[in-house]
Amino acid sequence: MSIVELSTETLPGVAISGLTIAYRTDAGELAAVSDITLGLPAGTITGLVGESGSGKSTLALSLLGAVQKPGRVTAGSVVIDGIGDITKLDEHALQSVRGAQIGYVFQAAQNSLNPLKTVGKQLLDLGRSHRVKDLRGLLREAKVLLSRMGLAAERVLDSYQHELSGGMRQRVGIMFALVLNAHLLVLDEPTTALDMITQANILQIVRDVHAERGLTTLIVTHDVGVVAEVADRMAVMYGGRVVEHGQTMEILGAPRHPYTRGLISAIPRLTGPVDAAKPLPGTPPTLGTIPRTGCVFRQRCPLRMEICDTVAPAMIGGVACHAVNETEQL
Amino acid sequence: MIEGRGITKTFASRGGVLGSQSVTALRGVDFLIPRGGAVSFIGESGCGKTTLGRILAGLETYDGGQLIVGDTDLSTLKPKAREPHFRRVQLIHQDPYSALNPTRTIESTLRDPLRLRAAQTGKPASWVASQTEELLSLVGLDPSYVLPRYPHQLSGGMRQRVVVARALTVEPEVLVADEAVSMIDVSLRLGILGLLRQLRETLGVSILFITHDVATARYVGADGELYVIYRGQVVERGPVETVLADPVHPYTQCLLSAIPVLHGLERPGEDRLVPKEPLDEKMEPAGCLFAPRCPFATEVCVSERPVLGRLGGTPQHHACFFPASRHVVATPLR
Repeated sequence: MSIVELSTETLPGVAISGLTIAYRTDAGELAAVSDITLGLPAGTITGLVGESGSGKSTLALSLLGAVQKPGRVTAGSVVIDGIGDITKLDEHALQSVRGAQIGYVFQAAQNSLNPLKTVGKQLLDLGRSHRVKDLRGLLREAKVLLSRMGLAAERVLDSYQHELSGGMRQRVGIMFALVLNAHLLVLDEPTTALDMITQANILQIVRDVHAERGLTTLIVTHDVGVVAEVADRMAVMYGGRVVEHGQTMEILGAPRHPYTRGLISAIPRLTGPVDAAKPLPGTPPTLGTIPRTGCVFRQRCPLRMEICDTVAPAMIGGVACHAVNETEQL
Repeated sequence: MIEGRGITKTFASRGGVLGSQSVTALRGVDFLIPRGGAVSFIGESGCGKTTLGRILAGLETYDGGQLIVGDTDLSTLKPKAREPHFRRVQLIHQDPYSALNPTRTIESTLRDPLRLRAAQTGKPASWVASQTEELLSLVGLDPSYVLPRYPHQLSGGMRQRVVVARALTVEPEVLVADEAVSMIDVSLRLGILGLLRQLRETLGVSILFITHDVATARYVGADGELYVIYRGQVVERGPVETVLADPVHPYTQCLLSAIPVLHGLERPGEDRLVPKEPLDEKMEPAGCLFAPRCPFATEVCVSERPVLGRLGGTPQHHACFFPASRHVVATPLR
């Protein structure tokens, strides 16, 4: 629980421990997230990387206590400083912490605004639903945030969704997440569907706003490049498990888990030999095909051993791999 | 071989409270893709690159210029007579799920165009079955696994391979790949890109690769040409490796600077550039289209529009009054 001790009053840290989230399906209850223990140290940006079906979005939603049925938390806890274990809160309590303490920018935030209301109207709705008495103050805060992100605040508040570009909508999404003064910010695929220049701009904004407002930030993405640009720390998910986590620079410079290694060497680069990029054989598992026992990555793993078929590797020193743990202990 | 000369396209939008407006998507684009060659178009969203791909595939008309497929100038033909030529160009777009009929098995998806082809060319029915299997093997799929399945039973990467196999049923000369891997899982992307590269070699298919992800363009066609398109105008073009190492147009430099740096593995380029302003599509500058956002714009840039021309005696072309090489791309640490 060292993460909790580190944090101060204004900076919430997050301690996820033994978290398992399962979805009820025709084939029984299947775990999308299995036994994850991960800390988001207060004041840091953590990048959560994974492919489709890795469970990264489900994990992110659990920070908001918003895992949708037929999914449910079957074990473990998500303790957020100043709030407590979010998995134990009732709907009423959740409503008051969402937005006010935890800001969430949804995947495809570009399309998550109400097309029939101006941004300003939606802001007032948000204020009322959180019983904000000083609505003028809320508008003022929204304008400060929008201008900070390089937008003409008045114009944006008077605009409908379709009048804004993808990059502008994404910034409006960040404004909504932070306007009630949340200090824990979760962004799910914040730059997917944006082009490179807009993406670079949004990532710069995330970095700046994070530092200026003293946030604890989690960015969920499939793009290692995004994590490399903004995140201090990263966690790599595969088949519902975190297989490696640590400092971003260290992992990128010297990845240890065979999946992380494969993922990084599968990124085509702009310089150096073209064929330095190597494809990762096989296909990532879906909810129905995640192995129930043993290591989730073994079918694609070049280091597979006998034990991998039966025993799920424990997370030791930031990596969950039998082969790596064995060689590193020698 | 496919060639475009001065292709122009303007979209007119009628009505709306603001009255009629028009958007110029392409302002006289020239390009040439040799047999088995690759040309990549990169640019921001709205730059016209997708429109160009759709024009090549016959899904969109063009207003002016010439489009030459093989040895046929399509602009001299009546629209009806163009159709068989457009079959020689097949489009692969970003979403392999919406590109396949969800109620048909892969077998049925592939057999129909092949049957038609067999009927046209007088091939026996047995050819259809053997060709189906051959095409699937060519795109790296196991026919016995894939044929009886529906699209939803396959992964995104497998679906995109099926889309490629279907495009190959008509023996196209050109594949237009528009963001073909942007919706594919990261660990599977390289496989699709490698497949496109392999088709160039084995079948002599030419590839027009449209993307905002420059590194994927380099993987498919490092030996080809890179075209940088901005608001419908090609502002820089040249051999891929040259443009990446020594871009001379400030827009290319901004675009390449925006690519994330893998800190820990790479060192950022020392001259990284950021545009002064966001793109305002409503503004139609009299001078250089990029001048309002360019950190180096001068008076002449605001009043006159530069045209694409050669950089000295090199194969590199640019449309800038003040071309200057800047190092913006990250370099590997070791």
